[in-house]
Amino acid sequence: MKAVEYISQKIKDVPDVAVILGSGLSKLADEVEEAVKIPYKEIPEFLNSTAPGHAGELIYGYVNDKKVLLMNGRFHTYEGYKPADVAYPIRVMKKLGIKRLIVTNAAGGIRTSFKPGELVFIKDIINFSFRNPLRGPNDETEGPRFPDMSQSFSKDWLEEANKSVKEKFGEPLESGTYISVLGPSYETPAEIRMFRKLGADMIGMSTIHEVIVANHIGMKVLGISCVTNMAAGVLDQPLSEEEVLEAGRRVSKHFVALVKHIIEKTC
Amino acid sequence: MGYVEDVKEAVNFVEKQIERTPKVAVVLGSGLGGIKDAVEVSSKVKYSDIPHFPNSTAPGHAGEMIFGKWNGVDVVLMNGRFHYYEGYSMKEITMPIRVFQLLGVKYLFLTNAAGGLNHSFEPGHPMIITDHINFMGDNPLVGKNVDEWGVRFPDMSHAYDPELIKLAEEAAKELTIEYYKGVYIAFSGPNFETPAELKMARYFGADAVGMSTVPEVIVANHGGLRVLGISSITDRAIPEGLEPLTGEEVIKIAEKTGKKIAMIFEKVIDKLER
Repeated sequence: MKAVEYISQKIKDVPDVAVILGSGLSKLADEVEEAVKIPYKEIPEFLNSTAPGHAGELIYGYVNDKKVLLMNGRFHTYEGYKPADVAYPIRVMKKLGIKRLIVTNAAGGIRTSFKPGELVFIKDIINFSFRNPLRGPNDETEGPRFPDMSQSFSKDWLEEANKSVKEKFGEPLESGTYISVLGPSYETPAEIRMFRKLGADMIGMSTIHEVIVANHIGMKVLGISCVTNMAAGVLDQPLSEEEVLEAGRRVSKHFVALVKHIIEKTC
Repeated sequence: MGYVEDVKEAVNFVEKQIERTPKVAVVLGSGLGGIKDAVEVSSKVKYSDIPHFPNSTAPGHAGEMIFGKWNGVDVVLMNGRFHYYEGYSMKEITMPIRVFQLLGVKYLFLTNAAGGLNHSFEPGHPMIITDHINFMGDNPLVGKNVDEWGVRFPDMSHAYDPELIKLAEEAAKELTIEYYKGVYIAFSGPNFETPAELKMARYFGADAVGMSTVPEVIVANHGGLRVLGISSITDRAIPEGLEPLTGEEVIKIAEKTGKKIAMIFEKVIDKLER
C-alpha cells in the first residue's frame, strides 16, 4: 500500500487511536499538539472528500499524552464512491499499526427522547445502505470471508468510556442503535417510523462501511453520534444541512472535551 | 459531467418542439394511458427522437411526451415511463423529471399501479399517496450534486405536497369517487413480492406496494416541483391467501381505476392557481 508508506514517512510513531470526525465535528483537529497535517490529495491511492462540513486531511499529533491520527473529512457512498473505497482509510490505519478506532457522526434522532445536540454512544448498527464494502473476492490476509459482527462496537470499551464520562461530566451518555442509509435525500416520515419499528435510535448516511471493515480487520471500535436534528416527521419542520452543521458547531466544545477525555482515559 | 449536458441537450430539443411551457407534468403509470384522451393535444415528442433519452420497454407503456391543454391549463403527459427493473440506472429513470424541471414545469402528478397492503383496500380504487418508503436500495441523487438543480441533502418531510393532497381529496369527494390515502412502498422488482415480504412491508407501515414513483418523487423534491401521487389499487397484496398475479390483470383493473384518477387530476388542475 503506497498510502501506508507515504503516511509512515510523515508520522513519528504508531498512533494509540484513530478518530473519524463527522459532519460539523472537526474542532477536535484544533486541539492536536505538534500537529502534522497530511492532505488527502497528497496521499497516493486516497480519495478526495466532497461532502459539506468535511475537510480532507489526516492529522497526526498529541491529545494530552496520547498519540492520535484524526481523519478530518470522510467519504460517503452517496457521493458516488464505492463502499470499499469509502472504508479504504481504515485498512490504511490498521497497516499503520493502529488498533483502536473512534467513529463519530452527525445523526438524526429517531428516539423521541433525544434532544438536538445530544451526544450518544453507538452500541450497534443496522446496515440499511443495501451495500457492503466486503463484496467481492476476500483477501484472507486482511480478514475472514464472513466477519463476526456480534460486537461491531466494543462493549467493554463503551462501558469503560461511559464510566469515565460519568466520572468527569456527572452523567453518562445514552447509547443507541444507529441505522445507516444511502442518502443523499433525507428520509421521509414514513421511513423514519419504519426505522423506529426496526429498532433504530439514530440515523445517518455514513459509518457503516468503516465499521464493517474495522471488524473485518480486527480493530476495536467505539462510536459516538451527535444528534444534530430530530429525524423527519418527529417535529413538524423541514430538515436542512445548515441545521445539521449548526448543531454540530453548537455542541463542538462539549464534543471535543468528551472525546479528549475518552482518549486520555481509555486509549 | 456527461449527465448534466445530456439533460440540457434533451431540454433544448424538447423546447424547440413546443410553443408554451407546461405547468403540470403527468406521469402515466401502467394502464393509465387513458388520461391522454382528455387532453387537447398540440404536439407530441417521441422519446426515441429526444437526444440521450432512454426507451421504454415495459408492457402497456408507449414512449412519448404529449403536450397540450387540459381544462385550459398547459400540461405535458409522460406516456410511458422507465422502471428500475428494466435495467436503467436511477439517473436514466428520472431524466424526464429533470427535463420537466428545466422546462419550467411546476407540478408533477404521478400515477402507478399498486398492490393494496392495507386490509381495508379493495381493488379498483385510487389511493392518494401521503408518503413513501424507498425500499429499492438505490437513490437517483447519488454522485456529485448539481447545485443549480437542487441542494445536496433535500428535505423529504413533505415529499407529497399537503395542499395538493387536500385538493385531490376535495376533488374525489365532489366526484363521489371512493378513495384511500396511504403510504406507498417501492421495491425494485420485477418479480412480485413474496407473502413474507408483503407481511414485512405492512409491518413497515406501507399501505400499497409497487415498483416505481419513488425515484421520480425524490428528484422532483430535489428540483422543487410540487408532487401529487395517486396509486391505482389493482389487487390485494394480502399475504394470507395471495392469488397468483399476471401483468394483464393488473393492467385491466388499472385502466378502470385510471378513469377515476383522470377525473381527480382534472379537478385538481382546475383548482390550481392560474
